[in-house]
Amino acid sequence: MRDLRAILGAAAMAAVFTLWHGGAFAQMNHQHASEAACEETLLRCASKVTPAFAADGTLWLVWMAGGQISVASSKDDGKTFSSPVQVTRESLNLDWGPDARPKIAIDGKGRIVLAFSIFRDKAFNGQVLATQSTDGGKSFAPLRPITADNESQRFEAIALEPDGTAFAAWLDKRNRVPARQNGKPHDGAGLFFATSKDGGSTYLDAQLVADNTCECCRLGLALDGHGRPVIVFRNIFEGGVRDHAVVTFSGSASPGEVHRVSRDDWQIAACPHHGPSLSISPNGTYHVAWYTNGKARKGLFYARSTDGGKTFSNPLPVGEPSRSPSRPQVIAGPEGLVMVWKEFDGEKTEVKLMTSQDDGATWSTSRAIASTTDNSDHPLLVSDSRRVYLSWMTKADGYRFQPIERQP
Amino acid sequence: MKRELLAAAFLLGTLSAAATADDAELKSFERGSWQQILRSHAGRPTLVHFWGVTCGPCKVELPQLGKFMKDHPGIDVVTISADLVPNLPEATQSMLQKAGLSAAENWMFSDGFADRLRFEIDPAWQGDIPRTMLIARGGAVTTIEGAAEMPELDKWAQGQAATTGSR
Repeated sequence: MRDLRAILGAAAMAAVFTLWHGGAFAQMNHQHASEAACEETLLRCASKVTPAFAADGTLWLVWMAGGQISVASSKDDGKTFSSPVQVTRESLNLDWGPDARPKIAIDGKGRIVLAFSIFRDKAFNGQVLATQSTDGGKSFAPLRPITADNESQRFEAIALEPDGTAFAAWLDKRNRVPARQNGKPHDGAGLFFATSKDGGSTYLDAQLVADNTCECCRLGLALDGHGRPVIVFRNIFEGGVRDHAVVTFSGSASPGEVHRVSRDDWQIAACPHHGPSLSISPNGTYHVAWYTNGKARKGLFYARSTDGGKTFSNPLPVGEPSRSPSRPQVIAGPEGLVMVWKEFDGEKTEVKLMTSQDDGATWSTSRAIASTTDNSDHPLLVSDSRRVYLSWMTKADGYRFQPIERQP
Repeated sequence: MKRELLAAAFLLGTLSAAATADDAELKSFERGSWQQILRSHAGRPTLVHFWGVTCGPCKVELPQLGKFMKDHPGIDVVTISADLVPNLPEATQSMLQKAGLSAAENWMFSDGFADRLRFEIDPAWQGDIPRTMLIARGGAVTTIEGAAEMPELDKWAQGQAATTGSR
């Protein structure tokens, strides 16, 4: 036994020596240092998982694991999944930023559209790639850049409009080049969009919605009752104030006026890595949840707009301030509004839930519906025609897909 | 077994200390590292800077901090790469070196549970970077969210130097 220990000890030292000299600092303690439970491409090893329901009730997941993007489906609300189909073939440096994740949308005919970002160079310039499947997810077309421009792009959001048009929006730094050439500073990134009339195979030329928006937060995208895109994003207002704004399109190619969601007055030259969530009720009410650390308010907040995003209600604080509430998600489901977010007590992360039966005018008290004691993805909400589900990837407890029970 | 692991840890320490001067040595920031930093700099004015390789504003600020360190040898400068996925030591070292910060005390988040690391530092911090904490000789902490204004840092450093003079 003693000899074995000595051998193990020597082996440990040799391993440490080798790893250090190989420059493989990260591998010394890889599993511990990794966000994910394992390094394979399996769902179990995913760091980010995004769900979507097809019209026929099939649940689809797209995830990031083992440096690849994979897709699988479930006919039994997440109890069992089909064999995964790997969408990426080569080894790509997938965007691992905290607000990045692969996106999925499915139209009424079962066409599946995907988009995700990669870091395409050593300076961490991003590129948005897209693909689609027309054979029910059995195979995906070769990956294509969503735009021909080579400046950095990240934080894509996609939706399929009722007429089959694929709509994509993302943050794009192309405008900083001409600005610099003219000797002008260029803050943040432009919010760009493009549409595809062939179901996500090719996208038309990118167009600008608003320049100088915050460059490092995910977008909130939803379609209103008429199928028109609405985007909530962290803007950069005058004086470097990174508060939220909303834009409603009058058609898939016509962005309307930008309105402010809230005056939080968060003046910061930094990457908050913490974007908003948007959902729209069948009656047209916009529901927005977001994080701020502004002078006017700090923490998570919810507000709604009943006039198409022109004005918003007073922000409602969400979560327990002493428990670092984060990552809010709001969804207008078949049984009313549901909101989830994370709270952390120093050891344990809980997913908290509250609901509203009156379109966001009043909310229930909050309760915990899931917890984990290691790293976890953002808690996401997805609904089919019957109910809302929590989708949550955790390192310690694997992937969870659970129906939101109505509160007693 | 415990003894052998300790030996391995000692060997690692020796090797890291022997890293060439050009390479910024990167320490693993794990549970407890924050308290270790506070203890080891107690009584000394210390600037702690949180940043990340993918953060745009950080790229602008980092070289300014390199200059700050040169201008204020009496201030301990600690950098902590707080990008949520670590595993990028080469990119981190390269940026520190270009910014003139190789000689600073450089750390990198090395725990996949970044929420917990941040909570130990400041429960109210949600991960936005850059972020700078100025720890005065007496332990008073001033947190600057986002890119710091260099004249303000210079002023703080001069104030700390004045404190030394009065001793």
